Amino acid sequence: MSTANLITLTAVTRNFGAFTALSDITLSLPPGRIGLLGPNGAGKSTLLKILMGLIPPSSGTGRVLDEPLGGDRDTEGNWRLRRLIGFMPEADALVPGLTGVEYVSLAGELYGMPRREATRRAHEVLSYLELEEARYRRVEEYSAGMKQRAKLAQALVHDPPVLLLDEPTSGLDPAGRDAMLRLVKALATDHGKSVLLSTHLLADVEAVCERVVIMAGGKVRGEGTVAELCARRQDRFRVRVQGDLPAFRADLEAAGVKLLGDNGQEEWRVAVPAGWSNLAFFQHAAACGVVIRSLLRDDETLEELFLRTVA
Amino acid sequence: MAQTDTLLRYRPWRGTARGPLYASTALARASLKLLFRRRIMWGLFALALLVFFFFFYAQYLVVWITNLLATDSVRFAGIPVTVRGITRFFEPLALNGTAHTFGNFIWYQGYVLVIVLALAGSVLVGNDFSHGSLPFFLSKPIGRWHYILGKCLAIGAVINLLTTFPAILLWVEAGLLYDWKSYYLDNFTLLLGIIGYGLVLTLTLSPLTVATAVLVRRTAPMAMIWMGLFVLLPMLSGSLVESVDDTGWRLFDVWNNLYLCGLSCLNADHAMVRPQPQPPYWQAWLATGAVVGACLLYLRKRIQAVEIVS
Repeated sequence: MSTANLITLTAVTRNFGAFTALSDITLSLPPGRIGLLGPNGAGKSTLLKILMGLIPPSSGTGRVLDEPLGGDRDTEGNWRLRRLIGFMPEADALVPGLTGVEYVSLAGELYGMPRREATRRAHEVLSYLELEEARYRRVEEYSAGMKQRAKLAQALVHDPPVLLLDEPTSGLDPAGRDAMLRLVKALATDHGKSVLLSTHLLADVEAVCERVVIMAGGKVRGEGTVAELCARRQDRFRVRVQGDLPAFRADLEAAGVKLLGDNGQEEWRVAVPAGWSNLAFFQHAAACGVVIRSLLRDDETLEELFLRTVA
Repeated sequence: MAQTDTLLRYRPWRGTARGPLYASTALARASLKLLFRRRIMWGLFALALLVFFFFFYAQYLVVWITNLLATDSVRFAGIPVTVRGITRFFEPLALNGTAHTFGNFIWYQGYVLVIVLALAGSVLVGNDFSHGSLPFFLSKPIGRWHYILGKCLAIGAVINLLTTFPAILLWVEAGLLYDWKSYYLDNFTLLLGIIGYGLVLTLTLSPLTVATAVLVRRTAPMAMIWMGLFVLLPMLSGSLVESVDDTGWRLFDVWNNLYLCGLSCLNADHAMVRPQPQPPYWQAWLATGAVVGACLLYLRKRIQAVEIVS
């Protein structure tokens, strides 16, 4: 595998008649664990379809690893592109009547693997995903967690460098969800897979992803590492004080500082006005005769960031 | 323990991937597996086998009676029995190793075939829509035509298993019942005709099955549509032909069109085709071509990437 970006998109737009599903998307994502977040109608599904070569962009260009996007659906180029990707759909996507091993083996053959190798590989992948005991059971008899793992197995069978997972924890109980997320993370960290995780669940992204792309209204509203995005907001602080709290509070509010929260244990969350210097906290504290016991920048949670970004 | 340990570790795979046509054959194999796992299918295959055995033994019986009465005179209650007297019940079936023998066999086998295809359509294609399996197939490096080809190959295999293959066995049997050297040499074109008939059935009924399954998806509505196509339309077209006296109305009968195309492959005498009157062969070919074209156009429109990611 080359050291190319995982995904490079330049001014990608996709229209469906008069409706613009994606508008002028420009992205450059390095290999790794990437979360694709967005509310319904944000354009996530359209972006996934374009990345898989299922629909061409109306305008713009792009690449997944070294393969260019944008050709007609049924071309050799797009088939090469899809061999790079293991796609785990959100829908059930099982073939009722087939056993687990037949289902995964069929996926391998559809990816172009010779029959014998596909079968052997299906056994290996199912064992790795702890479905060894259930290999010969029909997939429609599987529990929700087993179905999700079978879907992951069919995406992994041809050992793709990129995994595209659409709501992988959908319908799972907390334990199953945790196991699935650990598995996805292990595939990325231990086996070098790049993961693009499309989900509504922010906790899933926080658990697995290093980077996040936030989409809304067909546009990218934010992109970067989770830590970087959450720390991007510089105007929030947590301050712990001891002393005459009402006087200090009144003094700060007079200086334009907004009190966002008070946990009742002498710790406040505050938003400072533009041009505020941290030194000003200590100057106001000294004037009011209070002691500042701690002063920390108050990073946003991913949820707060997401809500603020898509609002 | 060491073996289990190895299995529980993820291992990379590096191999050469084959083309999408290979994927179509894999899809066809998996589809056949799904069909043969249904018990009801085996019941229907048994029914089709009964139709075949009826033709097989009736053909033998006709030759046996003809040979017997050629040498012995048989009397029943003092009345001499003629060959025609006994075999006239079989006359509509033309059990004499001619083009009409095989045409009739496939015609009657059609009753079972229609039910089998209604079921096959809902199992193989309808389920892909109702269970959301389509994203599984179309997210792979294959085009929608490879998906359709895979399904059509499986359906085609079932069609030929029920019609062409047993018809060829009847042809072989006919040769063994008559003078085999001259029969096989003189009627070799019949063998090609049977294969041609099978090809017409495959190329028409496979896309028709896939298209109707995509349209209605479930078994019950699928069976109703096929009943409409293969029972109601023939009745309607038959009564229209009689009342309006225009053979063109018979072209609404899809199975009759296939029968005419098959008989033209078998080079059968048009005047002998039952029921009369019938439209000319070329019109049946045209109508059949139109059905196939309509099905392919519908499938092209219906099986799209928009199905992939919900």
